[in-house]
Amino acid sequence: MSGSVCYPSFSKSLFSGIILEELIFPYPAQKAEERENLEIILATLRKFSADYIDTKKFDKESKIPEDIIKGWKELGFFGLVIPEEYGGYGLSTTSYCRILEEVGAADSSTALLLGAHQSIGLKGLLLFGTEEQKKKYLPKLATGEMVAAYALTEPGAGSDAAGIQTRAVRDENKGVYILNGSKMWITNGGIADFFTLFAKEEMVMPDGEKKDRITAFIITRDMGIKSGKEEEKLGIHGTSTTALFLENVEVPFENVLGERGQGFKVAMEILNSGRVGLAAGSIGGSKRALKDILSYVTERKQFGKSISEFELIQEKIAQIVLNIFVAESMVYLTTCMIDKENIDFSLESAICKVFATDTLWDNVNECLQMAGGIGFSHEYPYEQYLRDSRIFTIFDGTNEILRIFIALAGMQEQGEYLKKIGKALKDPIKGFGLITDYAVHYMKERLTTGRIRSVHSRLSAVKSDFENWAKNLYIATERVLMRYGKNIVQKEIIQKRLADAMIDLYAMISSISRVDTCINKKGEENCQREIEMCNTFCQQAWRRIRRNILMVDKNDDNSILNIANLSIDEKKYPLPWQF
Amino acid sequence: MNIAVCVKQVPDTETKIKITDDKKWIKEDEINFILNPYDELGVEEGLKLKETNGAEVTIISLGPERISSTIRSALAMGADKAIMIKTDKNPLDPAVTAAALAEVLKDGNYDIIFTGKQAIDDDHAQIAALLSEILNIPAITVITKLEINGTKVTAHRQIEGGFEKIECELPLIISAQKGLNEPRYASLKGIMTAKRIPIDEKKLNLLQDRIDILEISYPPQKPPGRIIGQGPEAVPELIRLLREEAKIIS
Repeated sequence: MSGSVCYPSFSKSLFSGIILEELIFPYPAQKAEERENLEIILATLRKFSADYIDTKKFDKESKIPEDIIKGWKELGFFGLVIPEEYGGYGLSTTSYCRILEEVGAADSSTALLLGAHQSIGLKGLLLFGTEEQKKKYLPKLATGEMVAAYALTEPGAGSDAAGIQTRAVRDENKGVYILNGSKMWITNGGIADFFTLFAKEEMVMPDGEKKDRITAFIITRDMGIKSGKEEEKLGIHGTSTTALFLENVEVPFENVLGERGQGFKVAMEILNSGRVGLAAGSIGGSKRALKDILSYVTERKQFGKSISEFELIQEKIAQIVLNIFVAESMVYLTTCMIDKENIDFSLESAICKVFATDTLWDNVNECLQMAGGIGFSHEYPYEQYLRDSRIFTIFDGTNEILRIFIALAGMQEQGEYLKKIGKALKDPIKGFGLITDYAVHYMKERLTTGRIRSVHSRLSAVKSDFENWAKNLYIATERVLMRYGKNIVQKEIIQKRLADAMIDLYAMISSISRVDTCINKKGEENCQREIEMCNTFCQQAWRRIRRNILMVDKNDDNSILNIANLSIDEKKYPLPWQF
Repeated sequence: MNIAVCVKQVPDTETKIKITDDKKWIKEDEINFILNPYDELGVEEGLKLKETNGAEVTIISLGPERISSTIRSALAMGADKAIMIKTDKNPLDPAVTAAALAEVLKDGNYDIIFTGKQAIDDDHAQIAALLSEILNIPAITVITKLEINGTKVTAHRQIEGGFEKIECELPLIISAQKGLNEPRYASLKGIMTAKRIPIDEKKLNLLQDRIDILEISYPPQKPPGRIIGQGPEAVPELIRLLREEAKIIS
């Protein structure tokens, strides 16, 4: 995957006004054999979950019992994504995510145990490992003899991953790196034996200058890495989360993962591919909460009828259903892009993570609200769902950082293009081709509307909405780049609006493709539910997009920032008692 | 030892069943299908015999294309071979199914043939007895415990209010009842191994189906509960209603 990315990202292209519809239509379907396998795995999973997973107990005891972890290992759930030649089961990202979704529905902590192991812990080895490294570790990771963890975050480096302080110093005589430093919030930190860990080493640049560069390492428990105590957390109590301490830990040269000095790239590529797993787990959590609350609201009677008969309850249920429907549409479109192996999916996986985790929080929050007083009680599951969900918008890139990533990475190509145009305009003869190119591009964007292949007539209205607002996003992006130039990097609120518009556009087009493909397969009469969900969500989405794009130009951002700074300067609510 | 297990694909018990518009069948397209839980006990018992006595376990199933996933899940538990009798749909008449199964079974030279005590969808509970009749070998049904010593079989059979212990000679047919064992989970390894086992597909001429469904309907809605009073003074009325209306005490 790494280095072989050749098909551009759908979302990045969309920011530049190009709709790569072939990445979206038709909505991909699993091959019959893969689907059959997945069904059998899910049947095993459901049985094992029903027999052994007690999410309330794991929460209360802050531990997933060891014999249950052993059960997962024996069944093979630690080797899902590891190729068969290394002792794993070589499942596709789609199957893997579907499994994580189902585990997420049973218990968030278990989903994170399996996810941290496979989505990020051992992912670097799969993506960047040498043949020797893979042969040495993957078979043990596949059986769960070794549990993996991903160790990037440090006390002083969270979102700013480039700021890590853990040091690696080469000892040429011994053939080892000496590592010193510490890591924080490491999922599986207390139980892992295999760490994909990042540290800085001093490297000599081609010009002879010495600079610090990040390098990725494979570190095993026996090298002397120490875990801190289990963190006491708000939720996901069953998951092991600890700090890690490295004191003169000796790591052989052959345990460098990827190229020396390329650790930042390694770290980011792992996270890019890991995010869909979190999104899938979130879908599972949402489905579970919805299922539980539905049996409650249909039983609970007030004013002589079930509360499920009241509109304000139904409105909440509908929104949760829509959120799940759209999250599914996005996530399983994106996992198929990942499985195709030559498409840049970095933005799409970030979009999935933001949408699925933001809505997970909204969904469980509304479920708790519908449960009323009992929602607040430890005796019912809703408060745990709420606590367990809270971390999802924070880790693996906070949703704020991811929105910035979506906007900036999305605008980059358009920015480069405009920069070239700028140069071209200074040197009109040499740049003639480019200008013409640009002019054609410019005109085409503004004159054509029928940009995507035709979809079923029941979806054509929302398809036009998509095209219209996709064009508006492109125009707004261009305007923003012209207006702010490279200062756009500081304009985070503007970035957020563009990112939110992009998220909604991806949500719309994934849903439209899903339902259009569904109609082609099963006929319109058998897709009424899907058509209604798609159209309803798309209406919600384009209204949000319109608002976000309007507010790129007309907004109260200056006042917002002023008010924030009033308070920040005072370090408290800025006004005195005035009444 | 040569073991056959006859299995059926049935709707998952968690599935919410919807009836088709013509009221003749259920809507199949969104149903999650599973291996009939009683048949699963038969598979497990076959696999246990394989582990203790050494045996080859063959899965046999009849039904439309979609049953391959159920056959695969039985193979994934550890069975060795599989035969699929492919039909356009599931016969309604158990005699049709039994005749087709017998057609395959008679060539297999099996020492033990397992079935579930019944399928949880149509609940006919006839296959073991019908096979016994057609193949002319004994069938012992609703078995909760099985011991095999050479060719002698001792089986515990659940009867009304107690157990019956039966001795019989191989070959025979056993229908499995809950309690016989705890079926194992299909591991990823088993699932991947099962993927590579070819399923022997057979096309047979089925007998004429003698059963016709006139109508399928939902069970009657449970009437809402009634509060007949509060405290001790309500007890006599409660007892009267339980006796005369609900007729659950005498």
